[in-house]
Amino acid sequence: MDENLIWEIRAFVYRHLAETTHPPHVDETATRFDLTHEEAVLAYEELHRRHAFFLQPDTQDILMANPFSGVETPFKVHVNGKTCFANCAWDSLGIPAALHVDAEIKAACAQSGEPIQLNVIDQQVQKSEALVHFLLPFRDWYDDLVFT
Amino acid sequence: MLFFRSEEALHEWLVAQKVERGAVLSIPQLWELSQHWYWDRMSPNYHGRTIEQVQEIFKELGLTSEFWQAQ
Repeated sequence: MDENLIWEIRAFVYRHLAETTHPPHVDETATRFDLTHEEAVLAYEELHRRHAFFLQPDTQDILMANPFSGVETPFKVHVNGKTCFANCAWDSLGIPAALHVDAEIKAACAQSGEPIQLNVIDQQVQKSEALVHFLLPFRDWYDDLVFT
Repeated sequence: MLFFRSEEALHEWLVAQKVERGAVLSIPQLWELSQHWYWDRMSPNYHGRTIEQVQEIFKELGLTSEFWQAQ
């Protein structure tokens, strides 16, 4: 598959997530680029292989296009009048960092369940006493991305 | 990566989950990391980054312990 097309498809997926809060179905992508279903599936699988985004196991559904989640998660990020879902604590700040916009983040303490709210205003994060714990060292991040 | 209200809450979670402590960042540190990591993610020209580029980001942010090393 054409290398430029692969990266255009990646950019389309990210734009779609930012604009609609959910990833495009593989058939939407096929239509957008005038591809067959099979060609679009191959492109998705190639982008998965390159870690550009990650598919649900044994499907063509996008699970993660970091910092965006393709499914609802406990990490809600309100940006541009929409609610996006992040994959983890880090990615919840990653969404306003990627979009260069203000954000209100609503999540919870992993131990107590108490709500944690963060605000990004004018590309500055507002004061918070919360902490973020990274369980796995960097060398293990891509062994099991969902777990990390 | 998970949020915790406090060090005490994190400690309770580590004990309950029977896992070792990894790395802990404050919210300002995480924001700085997010900005370095994701600022160009929406660009059509973003094609991923190498391990060396990742290590450079960590180094710039002072994340130099073994936890942040590739090997």
